Amino acid sequence: MGRGGSRATGAAAPPWHALPDEVWEHAFSFLPTAADRGAAAGACSSWLRAERRSRHHLAVANCYAAAPRDAIERFPAVRAAEVKGKPHFADFGLVPPAWGGAAAPWIAAAADGWPLLEELSFKRMVVTDECLEMIAASFRNFQVLRLVSCDGFSTAGLAAIAAGCRQLRELDLQENEIEDCSIHWLSLFPESFTSLVTLNFSCLDGEVNITVLERLVTRCRNLKTLKLNNAIPLDKLASLLQKAPQLVELGTGKFSADYHPDLFAKLEVAFGGCKSLRKLSGAWDAVPDYLPAFYCVCDGLTSLNLSYATVRGPELIKFISRCKNLQQLWVMDLIEDLGLAVVASSCSKLQELRVFPSDHFGLGVLTERGLVDVSASCPMLESVLYFCRRMTNEALITIAKNRPNFTCFRLCILEPHTPDYITQHPLDAGFSAIVESCKGLRRLSISGLLTDLVFRSIGAHADRLEMLSIAFAGNSDLGLNYILSGCKSLKKLEIRDCPFGDKPLLANAAKLETMRSLWMSSCLLTLGACRQLARKMPHLSVEIMNDPGWSCPLDSLPDESPVEKLYVYRTIAGPRSDTPSYVQIV
Amino acid sequence: MAECTTGNDRPSPSSSMDSSTHPALSTTSSARRPPARRDLSTDLHLGLSLSTSSSLQAAAESTPSTPRNHALSDWPPIKPFLRSALQKASSVGSARRQRTLFVKVYMEGVPIGRKLDLLLLDGYDSLLVKLCHMFKTSITYADVMECHQQVSGHKAAHVLTYEDQDGDWMMVGDVPWEYVLMYSIDPFAFHFTAYLTYVYCFYRLFLTNVKKLRIARMDKC
Repeated sequence: MGRGGSRATGAAAPPWHALPDEVWEHAFSFLPTAADRGAAAGACSSWLRAERRSRHHLAVANCYAAAPRDAIERFPAVRAAEVKGKPHFADFGLVPPAWGGAAAPWIAAAADGWPLLEELSFKRMVVTDECLEMIAASFRNFQVLRLVSCDGFSTAGLAAIAAGCRQLRELDLQENEIEDCSIHWLSLFPESFTSLVTLNFSCLDGEVNITVLERLVTRCRNLKTLKLNNAIPLDKLASLLQKAPQLVELGTGKFSADYHPDLFAKLEVAFGGCKSLRKLSGAWDAVPDYLPAFYCVCDGLTSLNLSYATVRGPELIKFISRCKNLQQLWVMDLIEDLGLAVVASSCSKLQELRVFPSDHFGLGVLTERGLVDVSASCPMLESVLYFCRRMTNEALITIAKNRPNFTCFRLCILEPHTPDYITQHPLDAGFSAIVESCKGLRRLSISGLLTDLVFRSIGAHADRLEMLSIAFAGNSDLGLNYILSGCKSLKKLEIRDCPFGDKPLLANAAKLETMRSLWMSSCLLTLGACRQLARKMPHLSVEIMNDPGWSCPLDSLPDESPVEKLYVYRTIAGPRSDTPSYVQIV
Repeated sequence: MAECTTGNDRPSPSSSMDSSTHPALSTTSSARRPPARRDLSTDLHLGLSLSTSSSLQAAAESTPSTPRNHALSDWPPIKPFLRSALQKASSVGSARRQRTLFVKVYMEGVPIGRKLDLLLLDGYDSLLVKLCHMFKTSITYADVMECHQQVSGHKAAHVLTYEDQDGDWMMVGDVPWEYVLMYSIDPFAFHFTAYLTYVYCFYRLFLTNVKKLRIARMDKC
């Protein structure tokens, strides 16, 4: 490889493929994503060796895709691990309880193989108190615990974490079901403990010792994120803020009390001191009269999460209109079209909008108009989750034209099979426009009255689509066939209540191995097709769920038996052994 | 005589989400069901229950005036925390109901009318029952009239009409259920109240248009 003769005499540089592993490890540390590292690892065996031994962060998107021990053996140097369990539709009650997703095997394996583990994150998994005790006991350098939509533990487990993790920096509990054992877990953080940077216990339903909390907040000078639960009264919130003016992210928990000018003044002063506050959430049951207390932080806010705040009306709108630098807004549909029009004109930096339904059967004035306005005026908008009651193709086409930069578009029209309310046509044309225009779309949820035509468009145009959610849509097998034979980048597909049957599933069996998982419930599947699929594709786990009360052995059922819930995922670990009686692996 | 066929006796609105505990689990009958295009009146009933396919089939067989009061706990796709927060809000709302829709009701030939809160009723049938009690006469409306004329020779003495926003007097019962609402109810009435939860969807279009009711003699129709 040398150039010219003059340098050729001395020691030649080693050929690139014989460079020591440390060089490669260093090089790989610059690769931004796990996918890049995975690709590098596939190049040759020395890169494989170097990459796997230097991988510090591991994300396991499906806890059953690989056995914990295999993961630990392959990546021995992991410091931060993230594991996800139940399928996404479990969030909406479609997966019966005790399905699986236990964190214990992962923690046990990690305790053995990753003693230097610093961070653990579990999503939609069952985490028990024993798990938390094991974490506290096994990892002397443990710093970050993040639990999202998990269940199975109580405040006793939190107590173990508080008492045992001396280096804890982050305790982030998002939307978990936590049993309240009336244990004052907060008091178990030792007096010498000062390293907390993030404390989020917003989902905890129970009393908290405010004095203990105040002392903790006072001594943790690096605290940047504090998200409170609903047990903290408003005046105590003010005191906490005064002790932690350096906060960057605040979850207020409740934000209501009878209006009192003194309390208002106290809050105003407290927020006035929070010069670094960028993210605000909570405001549950917010009393409109107190909203002006937030005004002094509005300018700095980049993220506002009012998704449980039932406040509405002019005070809400005035408050949001002052947040000129907002990038992320989560709000209830109480904001109405009028409020969204104000958002459109005030929040030009908006990147993400989520609008949640306030009442399943209520009478709100949020229509397609709001979304059209925001997408017309917010040039950086790329992610939308929108619940509404009516939509038109024209609105969707306009939105698609205005915002070709969408990466995530999730529209949920509350009533299934709702057509374009003006023309009474299906919404095929609207959603087709979205997928044709938004070339970078990675996530899509569709709703309303839809025929097979929309799936033809999605299959043909949504090249970058990774996750697709479908409910109450389509006419026939063609719909599913379009999706599975198109959508080059599809990783997760979840379908409920659609007239899709066996044929497209079997015809596209190979596709399923290129995907992470497929969920189908209340469709037209039969047991025979699932059996065939399982036979054809040995690297797929084909799980069938029956009524929990009904445990008929699968082998005795005929091929024509309908299958109500199907969950298929690729795995290198073989069939799992922890299925409850109502889950059968074909 | 028209009867209330709503199938529940609750006199006051209550959260339609009370009845959901566990997600409704599938039955094997759900897999085979009619093709996706259904007539919209069936779908409207489904709007309340937002059912899985098993109740889709059942709903298709039920009469239009039978509401399904059970809301499923797996639709719309919102997380458990939001769902329970909304349930709490709605149950509080029904306990201290602050929304009313009083309309005046006149019987033809009687100058002094009565007032009736339509939001306390859950359908045309219960409206009829209430009015029959109030005015001690037999009253009917459009749909039932046709049915009665076929079934028995008995003709009700009065028919129920209402005055809509254009000032025209219309026979109650013709307004199609399918088109869901734009309410004539003052939106500011909602301003600081908790949510009215239930579900008068059969009723809604009617509610949006009605200003007054009049019980007119049959022979004048």
